[in-house]
Amino acid sequence: MARIPLVPLGRPLDAFLGGVEAARNREQAGAREQRLGVERQAVRAGWGPEYEARVHEKEKLTTRERLARLQDPGSRLFEVGTFVNHGRKFGKQSSPAAGVITAFARIAGRWTMVIANDNTVASGAWWPLTPEKIERAQEMALRLRIPVVYLVDCSGLYLPEQAHSFPGRTGAGHIFKKNALLSSAGVPQIAGVFGDCIAGGGYMPIISDRVIMTEQAYMVIAGAALIKGAKAQHLSSLDIGGPEVHVAQSGCADERVPDDEHALAVIRREIEKLPTSAVAYYRHGAEALAPHFAPEELAALVPDDHRHAYPAEEVLARLVDQSLFWELHPERGRETITGIGRVNGLYLGFVINRQGLVDDPEHHGKKKPAGILYQEGIAKLAAFSRACDADGIPLVWLQDISGFDIGVEAERLGLLGYGSSLIYANSTNAVPMFTVLLRKASGAGYYAMAGLPYEPVVQLSTPLTRQAVMEGRTLAIATYNTNLDDEFEIATTDPAERAKIAEGMRTVEKRIEGDMDPYQAAARMDTDEIVALGELRAWLELFAEAAYQSTGHRRVKNPRIWSLHDLAVLARERG
Amino acid sequence: MFQRLLVANRGEVAVRIARACRTLGIAPIGVFSEADRGASWLSVFDESVCIGPGPASASYLRADRLVQAALQTRASALHPGWGFLAENARFAGLCAQHGVTFVGPTPALMDLMGTKTPAKRAMRAAGLALIPGSDEPLATLEEALACARAIGYPVLVKADAGGGGRGMRRCADEGELREAFAAARAEAEAAFGDGSVYLERYLERGRHVEVQLLCDAFGGGIHVGERECSVQRKHQKLIEESPSPALAPAERAALGAAALRAALAVGYTSAGTVEFLRAADGNLYFMEMNTRLQVEHPVSELVSGLDVAALQIRIAANERLPLAQAAVRFQGHAIEARINAEDPERGFQPTPGTLRAFALPTDLGPGTLRVDTHLCEGDEIPPHYDSLLAKVIAHADTRAAAIETLARALGAARIEGVATTIPLHLAVLASEDFRSGQYDTGSIPGWPPARAKTRVKA
Repeated sequence: MARIPLVPLGRPLDAFLGGVEAARNREQAGAREQRLGVERQAVRAGWGPEYEARVHEKEKLTTRERLARLQDPGSRLFEVGTFVNHGRKFGKQSSPAAGVITAFARIAGRWTMVIANDNTVASGAWWPLTPEKIERAQEMALRLRIPVVYLVDCSGLYLPEQAHSFPGRTGAGHIFKKNALLSSAGVPQIAGVFGDCIAGGGYMPIISDRVIMTEQAYMVIAGAALIKGAKAQHLSSLDIGGPEVHVAQSGCADERVPDDEHALAVIRREIEKLPTSAVAYYRHGAEALAPHFAPEELAALVPDDHRHAYPAEEVLARLVDQSLFWELHPERGRETITGIGRVNGLYLGFVINRQGLVDDPEHHGKKKPAGILYQEGIAKLAAFSRACDADGIPLVWLQDISGFDIGVEAERLGLLGYGSSLIYANSTNAVPMFTVLLRKASGAGYYAMAGLPYEPVVQLSTPLTRQAVMEGRTLAIATYNTNLDDEFEIATTDPAERAKIAEGMRTVEKRIEGDMDPYQAAARMDTDEIVALGELRAWLELFAEAAYQSTGHRRVKNPRIWSLHDLAVLARERG
Repeated sequence: MFQRLLVANRGEVAVRIARACRTLGIAPIGVFSEADRGASWLSVFDESVCIGPGPASASYLRADRLVQAALQTRASALHPGWGFLAENARFAGLCAQHGVTFVGPTPALMDLMGTKTPAKRAMRAAGLALIPGSDEPLATLEEALACARAIGYPVLVKADAGGGGRGMRRCADEGELREAFAAARAEAEAAFGDGSVYLERYLERGRHVEVQLLCDAFGGGIHVGERECSVQRKHQKLIEESPSPALAPAERAALGAAALRAALAVGYTSAGTVEFLRAADGNLYFMEMNTRLQVEHPVSELVSGLDVAALQIRIAANERLPLAQAAVRFQGHAIEARINAEDPERGFQPTPGTLRAFALPTDLGPGTLRVDTHLCEGDEIPPHYDSLLAKVIAHADTRAAAIETLARALGAARIEGVATTIPLHLAVLASEDFRSGQYDTGSIPGWPPARAKTRVKA
């Protein structure tokens, strides 16, 4: 059965949402997105115009100018890790984007991962978390087998903080191990060296397949400052490790070019020599088509208040091509929706949490809240995850979840066991997984639905995202449990005592709410990027195309041999 | 070739497609709503399936039911006809997803041609001229005034997201444009939530000229000449003819070739029509592309001798077009009259009812006659749908002979039980304006007959 029975999904916004509600949601989302815009702009400004001017004085391009010339005209750059180190100070210094831009960029029709030191932030120095950010980007490229381009312009470690970026398991040196692993996996790496490339940094370009140096570039184990006698001999770092040495004598680099523009043109030319994208082939005759319902409507659809429900299928309808979708096991585990849709003509598997109330399978005629996982839902997710992995269909996890069900029934039904089956499936999946934290990402639910600890290729947050083991209110209850009655009300009647407990609970709640701010999470690298709801479709298009770009490295089965069809047939009622 | 094809439509077009299926040895499968249950025309099908209640929204517009009907009758292809879902890209996508070949272009092309601005951009890039105007939305009155000066008055101010004339204003001079600009912006903002406003040269006394195309999946294509469709009432075509009396032979060949080049440039497949507005000065501007078979395709069939509907189905089965442009020969002149169950004396009010008599002659001269209809005496005209009863098409060596033949056929027609538009057609065919070929979309030549001299707003 090669046919994937996609059917029309979704309704126009005004068919299920009042105008007042939609306007309110839009307004609240608008405010959050405005902040997102402001924060992004601040990061993009680097250390500001005077540092840009300094770069231009040296007749070099800023890193962002380099990216704009490198990517295909009119294509969109998808940055990851924008907010790493956001709000962090090192002495008096800040490090916007941790001093390195990592982004999916389209070059000559292929998706690539570009890792570019930001020469407007401390001349591209490496800060605490800079190595981790670079390694995370390398990992994304390795998982997708897409080419990596390094734009190196790095003065080395920011030495006052070296203790936080040098020695650990993910310290700077681990970047070079990742270089080696990429090389060993056959992932093309191309490096352009545009300026300083000192000490450990020297290894980053030279493990690449192609190393291109501008006349201003040098690569050295140690610069002139550390070489005895350099001053007397009037030796500069450029003399020690410039293109004259590495291209002409040592063979550590391949080509020399006069300036930045030429280097970027040579990198583009190298990418053009690589195999073209397999995306058109894997579309199986379909075309890339927009959703029937506009993705921009997502901002009006998802309420700001995480306690308010919305129809999850309408989210899917605004993400998949032509709003056509095949739901698997629609009658079971109704707290979740699992199914297949196309994005840019490519099949993706989708998992999303329903919100509001759903039928309780254990108690006929009763309802229970969704946004939580129960036995059937967990089993459904595990089976779906395994099937997508077996069939080679990239998975998209759309989380808005408070956690697993708790209580006597939950334990009796063995949710711990079903949960471990799901965790095993997600931990051993080889198929690319992408996770989007739509709103809540709490408790074991965050883990079970392929949260960051389960190593999805990319995890996105939205401006609404709240990541936590438990919500602030829940933690306050847990902390003050001995002072509360069965209804979680304060037990004591003494007014002074009551006020003290209430104040304590408020403090706990507030602190947790603050920690749940997505920008703080992104600053700690607890999420890869924050994107507006209306941008999700564009990101999914990137994910789909990047996941299907390269042939040969991962299982991609044609729909005739999908185990999903077997599951569907076995679940069908005999008529 | 397909063995079974579902015709996802009703009435005249369903019968026409069924005939094309028979020519190709395909078993046609029909669908019908409760209102059409038992209709005589369903007998042309090998099998037919009920798809829901009378209102089109519950039957002929239900993509899921039509696909279900194709699946359960094991139809391997589906022809959407015209109207209903014929230009719905999501429907085409749904068919493809279920392994049912949609007889039409790809969903992406339907999407592209279904949106005004992208379609125009694409066709301009493919070499067709557009009505002079602002290519981008205009933000300020100053920009609008400058643009209007460049293209010349009168101009039309219109909303990009508009449709059906909403948000459109005609301005004869700068004073009117000053007034209209802000109002049009506000109206567009209120109606579509998008205040983008464009400016376009307002062309008076334009003629509607369209080119019939057939493009296969291997980059092959032909044009089957042009059709003149300027006899219109409220954008509804009443009479169509081929060739257009407005074009000289050299213009005709150039127009056909340009339309074909543009369609091939955007990767068009299947039958399609490129519509142009011919301005009084003879310039031809691209208006839109219809991504389907059209009601008036028979006039092109008669002058070319080709079966456009059958070729469209063969293209859908991934056949190459069996002929090249040089082999397309045009012979004589064809005119088509659409007979609707509407009363031209009473504001074209629909007149549903029972056909007590229904006879349209085909044996009158000097030319030859073709009648495309799904009806016969005793049939019921349900109130839910388009009221097309029949198309009468005359073909002769000359335009005058074709007019003569058509007028005789309509004069001898006997339809009782419902009022029809035949009196209008007879008046048009008898009018000097029509006979001389000097008419445009601004008015119906020869109608109303009593005040033939005054031009009536269509």
